[in-house]
Amino acid sequence: MPKFGAHRTSDVSDAPEERSEVAALMPMVRRIVGARVSDRAAADDLVQETLVRVLAAADRVQPGMLEPYAIRTARNLIASGWKEQDRHKRNQHRLVDLRPPAAPDEEMLQREEHDAIAQALAHLSDQERQTLLAHEVSGQDTRSLALEQGSTAGAVAAELNRTRARLRVEYLLALEGTEPPTDRCRPVLRALSSGDRRRQREVGADLHVLECAMCARLSEPLIRRGQQREDEVRIRITADGDIVLARQGARELADRIGFSRTDLTVIATAVSELARNIVRFAGEGEIFVELIEMPRCGVRVVARDAGPGIADVEQALADGFSTYHGLGLGLPGARRLMDEFTVDSEMGRGTTVTMTKWRQKG
Amino acid sequence: MSIGPALVSILRQGSYLIASIHTALDDSQMIRFQEDLIEQIGQHRSRGVIIDVAALDVLDSFGSRTLRNIAEMARLRGALTVIVGIQPEVAFAMVELGMGTGSVFTALDLEEGLAYLSSRVSSSSALST
Ligand SMILES: [Zn+2]
Repeated sequence: MPKFGAHRTSDVSDAPEERSEVAALMPMVRRIVGARVSDRAAADDLVQETLVRVLAAADRVQPGMLEPYAIRTARNLIASGWKEQDRHKRNQHRLVDLRPPAAPDEEMLQREEHDAIAQALAHLSDQERQTLLAHEVSGQDTRSLALEQGSTAGAVAAELNRTRARLRVEYLLALEGTEPPTDRCRPVLRALSSGDRRRQREVGADLHVLECAMCARLSEPLIRRGQQREDEVRIRITADGDIVLARQGARELADRIGFSRTDLTVIATAVSELARNIVRFAGEGEIFVELIEMPRCGVRVVARDAGPGIADVEQALADGFSTYHGLGLGLPGARRLMDEFTVDSEMGRGTTVTMTKWRQKG
Repeated sequence: MSIGPALVSILRQGSYLIASIHTALDDSQMIRFQEDLIEQIGQHRSRGVIIDVAALDVLDSFGSRTLRNIAEMARLRGALTVIVGIQPEVAFAMVELGMGTGSVFTALDLEEGLAYLSSRVSSSSALST
């Protein structure tokens, strides 16, 4: 709403359009709550509370998403056994300040998330759950997982991708608080989540999404997240241990598009050098790794920091200006390892190193 | 050892020490490993050291330099160092990086490493356990 301009605050009571939009949701929310809560007074309270929360969140919710958000909020309120006493506490607060308190709302969202993740995890087999947790939580790499399971790193990585894809689907379904309407929904959602185009064609994902309102709604976050997870990885670098995480993360990502073992080690070594530069000279920064398809298949690594910068990039890059003499920047070595290498540095502003390795054909 | 057995192990075998790195180490862990190993060389008056790096995912500039430092410090304490188990792709990356193991002897595996040590360390001292 431009008329509020830059001075518009999060005080939703100033936004009449949003209020009427939210008011229009009332009959639907009433139906949802009425179907589940028989006590009339409790149902009214739940409807009120739902609308207040939706109103508070209206300016954060994407256009067109207000209705699903309201459904989700109502269902979660019912599921969480929202209590009379909570309402009194909240309303007391509200008498003074019409905006609902931010903290309880955050807490609520976190609990929703937590419950949804727990429900989603319960859909995985023990083996899938263990592997996923060992990898995502304990940081065990695919190579050592493969060793334990008598499998290969590639197979473990593929299995992890499928597990993640299923977990995302179950998580979103848990947030919806309902089972999907048809038998085809889960296969479609999983195919979308994994980003597997062949599988999407097999299950007729495109057509189903046009016919099924729920899958249409869920497909958007699934596709967005799927892409984020599948072809990029971002590692914050603040300490020694992150150097190892960065090079393992880069190796695993590059492994997905079939780099040779030698090239995987070469990439990991170059990432290790750049990550160490960040720890040593800037204190903190990040390593961003992405798979690229154009103009060829490859992996691109961007190492960024907001450190002191490099006074003389040419000199730091000069051959023979090696890691263990002189300035001690790992740049010449990393440049020799990679196919493309650029350094962008400004004194007092930081350094960005971008390097690319192309996958060899055949 | 101050580093837990999960990361590295240092075993004594006669007048040799056999140190195995079991997983990728970060820089601080690498330094701890160096300190522990040098300390044990002094403690046991070892004449030879074998460092098994087969489990290392990379040997970057820091890792390579640390191994060379260990070998140099061991030499000053009268022990000869052999590095075994460098994976071919790790070796390739080390060369491309412009690092190497310098003058430190490398061998394919433990057996070859032991053979090298026994050929270089005088037999009288090697057998006096
Ligand atoms: Zn569906």
